[in-house]
Amino acid sequence: MALGTRLGRAALAVWLLLPLVPLVLWAAADRWTAPAVLPQAWGTAGLRDAVDSGAGTASLRSTVLGLVVAALATPLGAMAGRALAGSGVPAGGAVLAALLSPLVLPPFAVALGLDVLLLRLRVPASVGVVLLLTVAALPYTTVLMRTAYAAHDPGFEEEARTLGATARRAVLAVQLPMLAPALAGAAFLAFLVGWSDYVVTLLVGGGQLVTLPLLVASAASSVGNEAQVAVLSLGSVLPPLALLVAVGLLGRRR
Amino acid sequence: MSAALDLEGLTRVHASGSAPALDGFTLDVPAGSCVAVLGPSGSGKSTVLRLTAGLDEPTAGSVRLDGRDLAGVPPERRGMAMVFQRPLLFPHLSVRDNVAFADRVRGVPRRRARERAEEYLGLVQLAGYGDRPARALSGGQEQRVALARALAAEPRVLLLDEPFSALDTALRAEMHDLLADLRLRLDPTVLLVTHDPAEADALADAVAVLDGGRLQQAGPLGELYARPASLAVSRLLGGRTEVPGTVRDGVHTSALGPLALPGPVPDGPGVLVVRPEAVRVTAPGDPAADVTGTVVRVRRRGLRALVVVQVPGPVGTAVEAELAAGEELPAGRPVGLVLPVGARTVVPPAGPASAPDPARSAISHG
Repeated sequence: MALGTRLGRAALAVWLLLPLVPLVLWAAADRWTAPAVLPQAWGTAGLRDAVDSGAGTASLRSTVLGLVVAALATPLGAMAGRALAGSGVPAGGAVLAALLSPLVLPPFAVALGLDVLLLRLRVPASVGVVLLLTVAALPYTTVLMRTAYAAHDPGFEEEARTLGATARRAVLAVQLPMLAPALAGAAFLAFLVGWSDYVVTLLVGGGQLVTLPLLVASAASSVGNEAQVAVLSLGSVLPPLALLVAVGLLGRRR
Repeated sequence: MSAALDLEGLTRVHASGSAPALDGFTLDVPAGSCVAVLGPSGSGKSTVLRLTAGLDEPTAGSVRLDGRDLAGVPPERRGMAMVFQRPLLFPHLSVRDNVAFADRVRGVPRRRARERAEEYLGLVQLAGYGDRPARALSGGQEQRVALARALAAEPRVLLLDEPFSALDTALRAEMHDLLADLRLRLDPTVLLVTHDPAEADALADAVAVLDGGRLQQAGPLGELYARPASLAVSRLLGGRTEVPGTVRDGVHTSALGPLALPGPVPDGPGVLVVRPEAVRVTAPGDPAADVTGTVVRVRRRGLRALVVVQVPGPVGTAVEAELAAGEELPAGRPVGLVLPVGARTVVPPAGPASAPDPARSAISHG
């Protein structure tokens, strides 16, 4: 590897990991006042406070929300991406633009506007959150799967067909395994949308669905519990990081 | 295992309004034989295979297997396995599981399917490669595995779509030998598509020449070389001498003078074509010479040289001749040419449709 590449990678790693250093220090600090470079007293008070504030159930809720959004947005995005990668969709550009619109519209405005509609339609709050977040995740899954399908050679399925596989079997035994890395990437992004959302969960969920981001925000809005905020923040950063590494390894294996 | 394939009037129009990719194509492939469809890029030859395999629906015409019409039968139930120019090995499976694929989808237990896969890997001389990932193979090995995978499906007809075109010359010759060997052992019915006359010659019992979506001529390749039915066939098989003229009472009159023809040919305009191998070069004063001219270009072809001889006249007419091995003739040398009567063939003049069109062959492929 060239020296330049190595330096670049090191710089990138530092850039990504540096913000985590104060977080880690704060999480383990029982006392850390202004002029000191390092905490004066180490301890687990932050962790205890975080658990007491309901971090366990909140991260469970966030996990379930992320999984449900991924389970809905990944197959939908795969189907939309597959259709849009071919030439069979009339006005495909317009359809893609409509699917990408959640990226452009301010989420606050969308959530506020749709909240009223969902209330009038008597849609349960948690269902509303899932619906909106699935729509918000669709741009990512659609674009990723569209690229994957565009690069996928349909000759593989045709070969499977002439070898005796039904159309369904060709998709299950050949197409999906070959697209597994892209599907994993799309599911990861959709999971992140559900896992890290704040605005939609707060407005549409009406405060009933307390997820990790809501807990972090409420803890951060009060003063004097930096250690607890740090633990909660680490708790919301580390699981996706672990997932990312797992997805990356899956991609590299192929 | 093998069955007789019978294509009749196959026509395929890809998009309504466009010219048909294939137009009324009829071909018999007897059980156990190997027939090659020979044509340039974009001639519709891959379409023949796709319609036969059921990957595309014909606009008109029928595909029959041992007399049974396959209209509406999906590809997986036609009993035809296809090998494409790209190996298309499933990258998520090992070499062995690739070969076992057909058995697995038809419900053979995994252990039995893998045992059979090993047998077929042995047939293509890749015994011991089963555990490797499909992508850890060279190009020639990939194509062998693709062939083993198709054969393991025990197809009633094996469809080969330029399977060896991407390989270098030595590997291609090796694959030709392998396929000839497999034909002896398994006696499959093979429908092969290629643009290479040498490949058709090496593998096929009979050849069908396709150009512009239409069947030009079918028969043993030797017959096509000796008696091309059209300029397209002559050109595809490497013929370059084309002398326009007129036929009257079995004599072709052109810039080369009157030349008697071997068989009956209808009167009217016709183009004389002669294979370079048939033309004999002699001294300019030789009384046996049919025409005299001057060597204007020499083309090396291995041990033998090909000379282009310009025959004087109002319109420049060139005749190509192959020299004997080791023989040399410099450009500028006057020579006499003997065009044996049996080698003279007259084909209809090129209509506007069959004139060579470089733009067309550049656009589409396959």
